Amino acid sequence: MAATTKEELELMLTERAQSLTRQARLAAAVFSQYSQEQVDAIVKAMTTCAIDNAPRLAKMAHEETRMGVTEDKVLKNLVASEFLYAQIKDKRTVGVIKELPELNMVEVAEPIGVILGLAPVTNPTSTVIFKSICCAKTRNSIIFSPHLMAAESSNLAAKLLYEAAVAAGAPKGFISWVDKSSRLRRLSEILFSHPEVDLIFATGGTQMVKAAYSSGKPALGVGAGNTPVYVHKSCNVPSAAMEIIISKTFDNGTECPSEQTLIIDREVADELIEEFRRCGCYICNEEEVEKVADAVIDARTGGMNYRLVGQPANLILEQSGIKVDRHIKMILCPLKGELRQHRLAVEKLMPVLGYVLVDSVEEGINRSLDINYGGGTGHTAGIFSEDDAVIERFADAINAGRIIVNSPSSIGGLGGVYNHLNTTLSFGCGTGGGNITTDNVGIKNLINYKRVPRRKNYLISFQTTKNIYSNPGSIEHLKSLKCKNAFIITSRSASRRGHLSMVTENLPAGCHSDAFTDIGTEPDFSTIQKAVQAMRFSKPDAIIALGGGSVLDAAKIIRLFYDYPELDVKELAVNFLDFHHRMVEFPQVMKTQLVAIPTTSGTGSEVTPFAVLKDGYRKVSMIDECMLPDVAIIDAQFTKSLPRDITSDTAFDALTHALESLVSTFSSDYTDGLALEALRLIFEALPATLKNPSSILFRHKLHNAATLAGMAIGNASVGVNHALAHALGARFNIPHGRANAVFLMSTIEYNSQIPSKFVSIPCYPLWVADRKYARAAQFVGLKEEAVADAGPYAGYILALRRAVYDLGRLAGQPLSVGELGIPLEEYMAALPELVETAFNDMSVRSNPRYTLAPEVVELFKGAYAPRERP
Amino acid sequence: MINNEMRVRILGQLDRGVDEIDKMLISGDGPLEIDFSACTFVAVDGLEWLEELMLRADSAKRSVHFVNVPPVIYKVFKISHIESLMRACGGVSSNKSSKGPVC
Ligand SMILES: [Fe+2]
Repeated sequence: MAATTKEELELMLTERAQSLTRQARLAAAVFSQYSQEQVDAIVKAMTTCAIDNAPRLAKMAHEETRMGVTEDKVLKNLVASEFLYAQIKDKRTVGVIKELPELNMVEVAEPIGVILGLAPVTNPTSTVIFKSICCAKTRNSIIFSPHLMAAESSNLAAKLLYEAAVAAGAPKGFISWVDKSSRLRRLSEILFSHPEVDLIFATGGTQMVKAAYSSGKPALGVGAGNTPVYVHKSCNVPSAAMEIIISKTFDNGTECPSEQTLIIDREVADELIEEFRRCGCYICNEEEVEKVADAVIDARTGGMNYRLVGQPANLILEQSGIKVDRHIKMILCPLKGELRQHRLAVEKLMPVLGYVLVDSVEEGINRSLDINYGGGTGHTAGIFSEDDAVIERFADAINAGRIIVNSPSSIGGLGGVYNHLNTTLSFGCGTGGGNITTDNVGIKNLINYKRVPRRKNYLISFQTTKNIYSNPGSIEHLKSLKCKNAFIITSRSASRRGHLSMVTENLPAGCHSDAFTDIGTEPDFSTIQKAVQAMRFSKPDAIIALGGGSVLDAAKIIRLFYDYPELDVKELAVNFLDFHHRMVEFPQVMKTQLVAIPTTSGTGSEVTPFAVLKDGYRKVSMIDECMLPDVAIIDAQFTKSLPRDITSDTAFDALTHALESLVSTFSSDYTDGLALEALRLIFEALPATLKNPSSILFRHKLHNAATLAGMAIGNASVGVNHALAHALGARFNIPHGRANAVFLMSTIEYNSQIPSKFVSIPCYPLWVADRKYARAAQFVGLKEEAVADAGPYAGYILALRRAVYDLGRLAGQPLSVGELGIPLEEYMAALPELVETAFNDMSVRSNPRYTLAPEVVELFKGAYAPRERP
Repeated sequence: MINNEMRVRILGQLDRGVDEIDKMLISGDGPLEIDFSACTFVAVDGLEWLEELMLRADSAKRSVHFVNVPPVIYKVFKISHIESLMRACGGVSSNKSSKGPVC
């Protein structure tokens, strides 16, 4: 039925669009089932067909469009088939297409679906061949919208390849085309915005590409070109002349990457121009340049005259009113005056080439940029040079997706013939040309990539102090230390209590020693600097740290700055979320050996990579393997005179270490074993030590417990209890272990409840804090308590909390903030500050329950009232 | 046939219409269940035939159900955007006027 009214015509076109897209849609659906082998067989059959028909299609395209050169169109058809095939035949486009074992990830291909492909008048058959084969390889359907002036040849190419593909098993209807008619353009417009079209693959005039981009659909378009080619004096001049002629005359200049303006070093200009003349090019004089510009440039638009696109040089000369009686390959026009305003400094898809002379590389690049930015940004540029440095400078400056070196820019840009660029008929220009890619667009751009990342192989490692001597009397080991000059870092009280002489008496024979005894309870950086200064005089080869946690921590930092004076304390103390991804870089090797001799049984600093330093009003933590001491001497003779309160405070620090490292998100089988044994020893040895303070056996067990728990936190870190204790300790000047003890009853209960928010850490795939507390209770030998209507672990968790409570009461250890004697009003007034400090403490990051700010408030509040036995 | 319900299995490739199923549609009046568990491939002609079958079933007021559809085949139905096939698979209507998520 012939349509009569405008509405009827529109309806008819809409129905036609519906039928085309539906056919393509079903084919795309069916294509999704094809294997790589099936696809490859289809691609092979299509390529063979394209090669067989290359001359026929080239001839037809030339006859239909009256553009270009048949022989060159044959070559383009072969590039689009044979060369393309060579590049893609072994590429995987179905299923898993890439394995990235180092990232534990694979890429799986998902077809795009239905593609609307535009074919330009300049490359009507090669573009169709190229896009058809690419679509088959990627299991997509394509509907071709040809250029009206080239529709017969474009559509024949599509039909031939489609028939070959279907014969090889391709789905019915996977290639289709809009027939040539006066309604072709309107039908294409309808297709542009048709809901069943998934992607527009646009190659063609600027208008079409713009229409594609404004359709609102994903589009692969290409920008306009204006290729500058810099001829540097270092190049092989005759060869450059020949390559440029090959390129610019290729298909009579219809290839958009072809040369538009040459920028020639003056030193080689005469030789080059003479070579062009000798090879059959016409060099215009100034007057002729104007004539050529009149013919070649459309005065209305300032762009090229489309009637001369792809026409032979002789015809263009004739149209310009320039008479010649011989065959001319190409017309060269010197562009005098301001280049940016020259009429011929634009894209001319015909054998007309502008040129300018320059006197330096700088000027050469700048003039090239004038052309590049004069309508060809992101497209193509070329350079002839034997100087790699010049090529690099040029490539760095020019904004082009392809910068072709020492070869024809047109055929070079196509890829695969002169270089290893991907073969294409569609040149991505990046954002410079309003495109999403600078690729030589091809199969790579016609796949949806599905990335399938497996979980990271999370690195679990274990580090601790290399040599640990742990029996009472092990201070004697110092005698065998390989050192000539020891520097002892300690506190005043240590020297008072005779500990310093116990060390000096056990130094190796002939070993000189100096001592720095000024480490207070909270050393700051000025103390560190003083100690380092003293060491510069003394020049020791070993540092012996003797004291409690503060002394040991200070000694770690002193050694770091003694060995590496250039380090910056502020840079080393940057916070981090994950140890493995932190920014800070510590030295790999330490030069001076560090021996740690703890005189309390608490921090475990002798085996941890941590050190805390006071920095003004805040405390900074430094953490690195390089901070680990080389030797730890765990000799209970140093703790036998510890007062009862310090014994208990420090034991409760160790107890907190054991409990927190056990449930930490970074805990491992290695740290669990240490934490459990530390717990068992504390429950056994603390009551016994308090009963018999001078019993070296129980002191020894307690000392070991602290070191074992130190190894556990050194690798698994601590948790929310420490965050609360750090804040409270800093604000109210409470010793660390005592501050820990007042929160323990609260945090065990808090962490044993199903978290209101789980922690997102790859190494913690399952929340197990409740069962780990239960395991601790069992390991310590506690009996399950009767708890009604509670989870499977509740009885053991209650037993553990009672045991901690009983131990605290036995030791006289305050178990709540109120029991510390801090007035409630003062405490509540400090609450906002306490909450903020605790919330920002790094310790919460390894807590098994994601610690929300309101929960921190509740933990602080809940820890005030005097404790009752749970 | 059980309780007036007709069951049929598609074996191997569905690359054209299946006469037997066409006949079952004409002959019976109860629900028709098509089992895809042994279907290995659906071609364009097979897809078109399924769509037609659903149209004919609609006009004959017979319900047709697809069962045991392998994921590869189910994805073909999904990509094809043929609503009647999704209905036969028990999916909700993807009618654009309907509210909420669509298939
Ligand atoms: Fe601690």
